[in-house]
Amino acid sequence: MQPFNLRPDQLAEEMLDYSRKLGKGVENLLNAEKIDTGVTPKVEVYREDKLRLYRYESPADVVQSRVPTLIVYALVNRPYMTDLQENRSTVRNLLAAGQDVYLIDWGYPDEADRALTMDDYINGYLDRCVDVIRKRHKLDKINLLGICQGGAFSLCYTSLHPDKVKNLITMVTPVDFKTPDNMLSAWVQQMDVDLLIDTLGNVPGELLNWTFLSLKPFSLTGQKYLSMVDVLEDKEKLKNFLRMEKWIFDSPDQAGETFRQFVKDFYQNNGFLEGGVRIGDRPVDLKNISCPVLNIFAEQDHLVPPDASRALRGLTGSGDYTELSFPGGHIGIYVSGKAQKQVPPAIGRWLDERDK
Amino acid sequence: MSESAFWNEDWMKTQQKYWEDWTEMSRKAMGLEKPAKSPLESAMEHWWQGISPSAGDMTSDFMGKMMEQTQSYFRMAEGYYKNAGAGDSWLDAANRTVADLRKLFTGSVDNVFSGSETAGDDALHKMMAFWEMPMDNWQRMVSSLSLMPGDLLRNMPHKEGLDRFLSAPGLGYLREEEGQYKQLTRSIVEYQRCLGEYMGFFSNLGLLSVNRMQEKIEEMAESGKQVESARGLYDLWVSSSEEVYGEQVMTPEYAKIHGRLVNGLMALKQKLGQVVDEALGGLNMPTRRELRTLQDRLQESRREAKAMRAELEGLKEQMIELRSQATSKPKASAVASTPKKKAAVKKKAAVKKSRRPAG
Repeated sequence: MQPFNLRPDQLAEEMLDYSRKLGKGVENLLNAEKIDTGVTPKVEVYREDKLRLYRYESPADVVQSRVPTLIVYALVNRPYMTDLQENRSTVRNLLAAGQDVYLIDWGYPDEADRALTMDDYINGYLDRCVDVIRKRHKLDKINLLGICQGGAFSLCYTSLHPDKVKNLITMVTPVDFKTPDNMLSAWVQQMDVDLLIDTLGNVPGELLNWTFLSLKPFSLTGQKYLSMVDVLEDKEKLKNFLRMEKWIFDSPDQAGETFRQFVKDFYQNNGFLEGGVRIGDRPVDLKNISCPVLNIFAEQDHLVPPDASRALRGLTGSGDYTELSFPGGHIGIYVSGKAQKQVPPAIGRWLDERDK
Repeated sequence: MSESAFWNEDWMKTQQKYWEDWTEMSRKAMGLEKPAKSPLESAMEHWWQGISPSAGDMTSDFMGKMMEQTQSYFRMAEGYYKNAGAGDSWLDAANRTVADLRKLFTGSVDNVFSGSETAGDDALHKMMAFWEMPMDNWQRMVSSLSLMPGDLLRNMPHKEGLDRFLSAPGLGYLREEEGQYKQLTRSIVEYQRCLGEYMGFFSNLGLLSVNRMQEKIEEMAESGKQVESARGLYDLWVSSSEEVYGEQVMTPEYAKIHGRLVNGLMALKQKLGQVVDEALGGLNMPTRRELRTLQDRLQESRREAKAMRAELEGLKEQMIELRSQATSKPKASAVASTPKKKAAVKKKAAVKKSRRPAG
């Protein structure tokens, strides 16, 4: 069979249709309202430097879990990905599943935050947030839900403070940083991270954007914009597109010293597998993690390949380890329609079973 | 669908006429004497030129990206159509399209897309520029880290003999300063070399993508799948390019080139920073180096202060707990003694009950 069924009249029609959509839709683009992100009502319960700790308001008709869950997002990009819009919100669906949800917003570090180390983030900021929540709820232990780099931080934290974590959930979290399909890892091996940090101080968000876009340059910097024409006419869909666009390029700078240690210890030395990671003056040993662990990964993740996350199996000291595989990508796991129906409810059920 | 049924001469002639009439109509509508570009592409450009001044910076940049892609998309569809019109079999048309794409990447650009483009055409170069996207992204990033727009060093010429000159030791009172500037120049030369290496790596990938696209077309023919739109053709090209890119950038060779590019830029920026620091020091102004020392010391102090505050809070809580334990002790002992009394009473009662006669 011939592989092309392109009739000239169809082509002409397609082009005209395209230009019609573009012409009509650009009006919507020029008149697009301000993009709002983070839709679920929340209250600030703690602040320190640029960090904010929020508690989300539960729907009135939902019985909340006794043990709250703290979402630890990555330092890369902004945490409103978990609460992007009303029908795409992991937070909202966790609340609907009866969870009491807190979230750390790390803020936008600037040059004055350059010297913040992983010790400052994990044994400092994160530990103080956990203590605030424990105190508010008069509990010894709370649940942690770490996302991507935040998952790696949560693993370190739980290993160092096992007495404060009741259940640990890791989402799209890299554990083995040197799987053969890890493009980011392959690129970073030859980079002189000391030179980078000594020169730049903090790592600019633009450098991270470039790196992430370079993973799939043609789809992410070209094809995507062509697809946008299909949504230009629909104001709501256009707004969703622009919201995602805003998130992608809303990249905070990275505190230099933390970036230095994270890249060296994990990307270059594969510290969770090979050992040698020290946070402050204490070594990180995943065998110290004895609480139940739920490890969630995305099957089409191009940033954290599934095998990079699966590596967690057998590394912790937990006798209650569960894996949840999601058929989607690194971002889709938070925002796709399928994810909304599958992931937060599954987390809710898993936590409820361990809260009996 | 058989080939002869679809691509028979009459049908093709009819469609060719339709396309040409439509093209002609669009051309006249645009007031163009000569169709240098596809009518829609020209219309797009014209329309965008009219509308872009009213768009904000962000929207303008955003729409600019979309327009670039739109033009690639139109060019590809039109190129394919013209090839299809020139022959009587889909295989010929597909082969010609692939051959045209190949020409774009090998530099022999005459008669590409049935003569619709000629060497030096802007549109053609834009088509080739598709594979410059990774480079373009790099330049945007470098530009964002610099005071100067774009990556000024990209096209700066350098001679190999310069390295020899730069290796010569400095002399006299300004020896150190001269050495510093020589190091800076050497860093510039080295970064240029890395940049050239990086660009060189991508230069061959366009051709590999064309070959991959041809393989995909052959696979589609075998499996019975079809491309049914210009967009489908464009997507096929993107997926071919993305696949080839994905394979090539995972090679150890690329990791080294990428590492050298980033390291080269950082070394250069570090040298520039040192020169700027020297100048600031000379003006008796605070330097970056001094600020960083202060930042480190300040963070150390804050870390200690926070740890002490936490310890103090812990001690306070312990003290409050101890106090409350101390004040509640007598009560607690009183509470503890009461049940004993009650128990004693109960015991006595039980004894009394047991003394009662049964029945």
